[in-house]
Amino acid sequence: MREIFSISGIDIFQRDFNQIMIRGNEHDQLNQIVNKEISLNLPNKNLQVINNDNILIAKHSFDQWNLIYLKDQYHKDALNLVSNLNSNDQILASDYSHGQVYFDISGEKKNYYLNKLTHFDLRLKKFPVNTMAQTLIARIDCSIYHLKERYIVTCNKSFEDYFIQRLTDSINL
Amino acid sequence: MTASNNNKNSCVTDSNKVSFTFDGKKYFGFDGDTIASALLRNNIKIIGRSFKYHRPRGIYTCGIEEPNALVQVLSESNEPNTRATVKKIYSGINVLSQNRWPSLKNDFGYVNNLLSPLFSAGFYYKTFMGPKGFWKNIYEPLIRRTAGLGKPPKEFRSKSIHNHHNVDIVIVGAGLAGLLAASKFIDSEYDVILLEQDNMLGGSLNSSQKIKTIENLETREWLKKIENLIKKSKNIKIFKNTLATSYNQTNHIIALEDNSVGKPLASHKPELILHKIRTKHTILSNGHIERLISFRNNDLPGVMLAGSFEKYIFRYGVIPETEPIIFTNNSSTFSLLKSLIDLGCKPKAYIDVRDESLIDKKTKNILETNKIPFYFSSEVEGCDGSQMLETISIRNKEMQIKKIKGSMLCISGGINPDVHLFTQSKGLIKWDEKYLTFRPETAFQNTITIGSANGNFNFNKIIEEINEKLSLFKLKELKIDLESDCPEDLNIVELWETISEKKSFWSKSFIDIQNDVTTKDLRQAVTEGFDRIEHLKRFTTNSMGTDQGKISSINSLGIVSKILKKNISEVGTTIYRPPYAPLSFSAIAGRSTYEFYDPTRKTSIHSWHVKNRAIFEDVGQWKRPWYFKKNNKENMYEAVQRESKELRNAAGILDGSTLGKIEIKGKDALEFVNLIYTNAFTKMKPMTARYALMLGEDGMIKDDGIVCKINDQHFIVTTTTGGAAKVLSDMEEYAQTEWPHLNVYLNSITEQFSTFNISGPKSRAIMRKVFSNIDFSNEKFPFMSFKKVNYLDTQVRILRASFTGELGYEVYISPKYGLELWEKFFRYGENLGLIPYGTETMHLLRAEKGYIVVGQDTDGTVTPLDLNLNWMIGKNKKDFIGKRSLSRSDTSRKGRKQLVGILAVDKSKIIEEGQHVVEKSSIPAKIKFPIKYLGHITSSYHSPTLNYYVAMAMIEGGNELIGKKFYVTQNKSLENINVEIVKPIFLDPENKRLLS
Repeated sequence: MREIFSISGIDIFQRDFNQIMIRGNEHDQLNQIVNKEISLNLPNKNLQVINNDNILIAKHSFDQWNLIYLKDQYHKDALNLVSNLNSNDQILASDYSHGQVYFDISGEKKNYYLNKLTHFDLRLKKFPVNTMAQTLIARIDCSIYHLKERYIVTCNKSFEDYFIQRLTDSINL
Repeated sequence: MTASNNNKNSCVTDSNKVSFTFDGKKYFGFDGDTIASALLRNNIKIIGRSFKYHRPRGIYTCGIEEPNALVQVLSESNEPNTRATVKKIYSGINVLSQNRWPSLKNDFGYVNNLLSPLFSAGFYYKTFMGPKGFWKNIYEPLIRRTAGLGKPPKEFRSKSIHNHHNVDIVIVGAGLAGLLAASKFIDSEYDVILLEQDNMLGGSLNSSQKIKTIENLETREWLKKIENLIKKSKNIKIFKNTLATSYNQTNHIIALEDNSVGKPLASHKPELILHKIRTKHTILSNGHIERLISFRNNDLPGVMLAGSFEKYIFRYGVIPETEPIIFTNNSSTFSLLKSLIDLGCKPKAYIDVRDESLIDKKTKNILETNKIPFYFSSEVEGCDGSQMLETISIRNKEMQIKKIKGSMLCISGGINPDVHLFTQSKGLIKWDEKYLTFRPETAFQNTITIGSANGNFNFNKIIEEINEKLSLFKLKELKIDLESDCPEDLNIVELWETISEKKSFWSKSFIDIQNDVTTKDLRQAVTEGFDRIEHLKRFTTNSMGTDQGKISSINSLGIVSKILKKNISEVGTTIYRPPYAPLSFSAIAGRSTYEFYDPTRKTSIHSWHVKNRAIFEDVGQWKRPWYFKKNNKENMYEAVQRESKELRNAAGILDGSTLGKIEIKGKDALEFVNLIYTNAFTKMKPMTARYALMLGEDGMIKDDGIVCKINDQHFIVTTTTGGAAKVLSDMEEYAQTEWPHLNVYLNSITEQFSTFNISGPKSRAIMRKVFSNIDFSNEKFPFMSFKKVNYLDTQVRILRASFTGELGYEVYISPKYGLELWEKFFRYGENLGLIPYGTETMHLLRAEKGYIVVGQDTDGTVTPLDLNLNWMIGKNKKDFIGKRSLSRSDTSRKGRKQLVGILAVDKSKIIEEGQHVVEKSSIPAKIKFPIKYLGHITSSYHSPTLNYYVAMAMIEGGNELIGKKFYVTQNKSLENINVEIVKPIFLDPENKRLLS
């Protein structure tokens, strides 16, 4: 965990999570397989997030889910899950660990600062807890997961430096 | 008489003196003064010269609607056209008057006024017709030199930052109506933004004494109370100094906040914030604008709108003149009259065009009690004065003229609801016969108009109006008592202009004061056939200034309706377009973000590249090493030649992480890949790879890459760097819309793998050292096969493939270990001559081998057949994207442009990319007839291995021309280079190096 910024009203930490992108048909065996592996059901509403202390699963689209390990986890374990999921011909699981970067953003002014970089409506009534969205932040495609009192924002690893600089810049403005 | 201070009840006090400079002379104002109020305080009444006639001009209004008082602020990078009525002074602000030379008092440009009879409407259109060539060489340069107001800023400054908001309600204007509306939302469920252009809330409550008490409190006390309540409410944000400039579709509002009001610009921080607000409902409570009356010389300094005069008294604490003359056609001037008396000032005369029977008792009482000369059923015929107002001519209903002396004339021609934002939102307005104005009628969006912005000029009805219009929000009813001395309702009679008695060439009755448009111009325009209001506007430039005719556009409609003998509602209005008031381009553009302007993407090896003197090129958003400088002296050509040579002799490694990668899986994955690419994959063995082409539906090459088959249900494909996103998107579209019956899923895995391309005769030896447990022999690891290898706690995929023509491998690894593995290659490979190489060297090496680059050797009009890639087309396949188009008559005809190699006959010659292939040995200096063009050079490089230039070209019927000689044009010479057409492969045609 790396502190990016921490001032009154906002704290941003970069986290090392592991992530798997899953695609398949939820009516097939996908839900059973996932449930068996991680003891969580796949969310069935678009943009819904289900999580426990260790894992977050979000439904990105009608046939796409994102699984993020919220705690330190050996990459190999993620690969094992990918392998297990991929043993079914009708499921595609891709290892997204290390190809993405993760920012844990909290603090009462998080919306104020993020809205310098995105037009997205972050108000609780429009973006409730346990939902996610894909939107542009600092002109980059990002996924943003609303967990209790914090956001997990992810984007492609190649944007890491740029995104950190933009976050820092917007807070300093 | 002179100006004096209102020390009794003003928002600006004399506690803090501020010095400022106007036209090089130092003056003092007070903290909170605008440039205009400070100048008035110093009895400066001439502020600038007019746009066309260079007539002296003064301060006409007290706000954003100002047409005249535009100044240049020298201390702010020479910012031009700053409204003196809005810009606050601060210590040291340096202001210059505009549009005059050599001085404000003696302006050479005043000659235009003397010649004004020539400069009537349409003067430019009619005058500068000929002779031929004069427009370009004489007229236009001359007009450009003399046109315009102010001088451009000396430098570009980063002025604004942008911020986004999403709310339920935006209230535009924090005057009485806006504050009452906001108070209803206190502690409600709604997120509210309250926008106020001034630096204090209150609007007209600060600029007049029309309202005496609210909730039994003095208005200023009530303002403090309500502001505190709103501030405490967590759901309402107040933005002061913020002007709503645009009201766009879907309730999108742009508002500009000025952070530098009353203080010098901070050098390190932008002074503006551009707020981009999305809201569910907009409440427009942005008030009203007083309008002028046209009469002879109504532009003389000293003529001011009555409401603005009153605003100077209370908002800024300056009484511009203690004995002004008031001229009106409505009851709103009662307030000014009463205020002046309360402050011990006595108007010199009161002229009212209304009949005595229409004038309220209160007004009559004040006039009689204070023995103020009054003229009912009378009007101002005109004004006279040398540079400033000196005499006013009053005409009574018997048409007798009486002249009185005076230095200030306060006029009121009625009140317009400020409908600009409402009409920007596409709301419809309607003519109101009672108040003689347009007022909002039908909202197009979720827009609610209240208060005077809605044409409600009756304070006593405002509570009722707000309760009714905001009832949809189910909020508490407002129950507030307002006490006002003013007449309950607006009483007004029609008066757009008065008829001039004095027929002088130099006397003018202005309708648009900023653009110097006169009422005579309007008549002339109609006479000449411009009787549609939009045409008339453009012909005369009426209301096309920076003020958009805020105080005069309705008057022009009134005058035109009279000329046309139509109702004003039939004449219609021109369209109010955003922005509401001018804002600088730099405010829209935002601050200079320099390196942040475009997102940049870096590979996991980027830091190593930087350390090793890589020069980067931008490929899409990626930063790719272009070449590596061995030392500071080495230039690009030398570096690329060196890298190429060393790779062909030993080995080189390229960071290919930017290549697009897509994982395809599903029980129908094989069929999907067969449909997407031209190649046949059915018989392809698992764990092998194939170079593949993707076509558009038109049969033209769209992208290329390598398809790796794990098994029939699982593929990994690569794409070009620039095409990655588009290819994935296209694949997804086909999967979802064209072939929904196929069970196939796609994931982008571009970012999930760092990719290295290791090439060169020593690459096998290096791979053996790095992956010691893998057999890299030809037998165990043949060309176009791949393996998965465990590496630390991850897996590496190694593919034997090459884009250089040398023995080569592509290594795919998690970016977590990318840098570690890259460095390992150098630890083991440096002794074997391993060097890093960049994209330019890659291009050279592939050109030597005749490999194409999609987008360089192709341009969207090239089929695989044109490139002689027929072997990549699965002829027995039932279908693939673009198949049908390949058999179209045009795509299959002979004589299409085809890919060939080009070699100069004289090998020392340099062939340039993009040059034409022609039949002639030279180009005539003057081309009289078209020169036959066969095609163009798509790629050209100096090969260090061959020691001459190798080039590829797309030329007509190229395949038939192998062995023939033609010419290639040169950039800096008319002599063409003699070249031979060859097959597009220059090195190792037997693929010995590749398969070694």
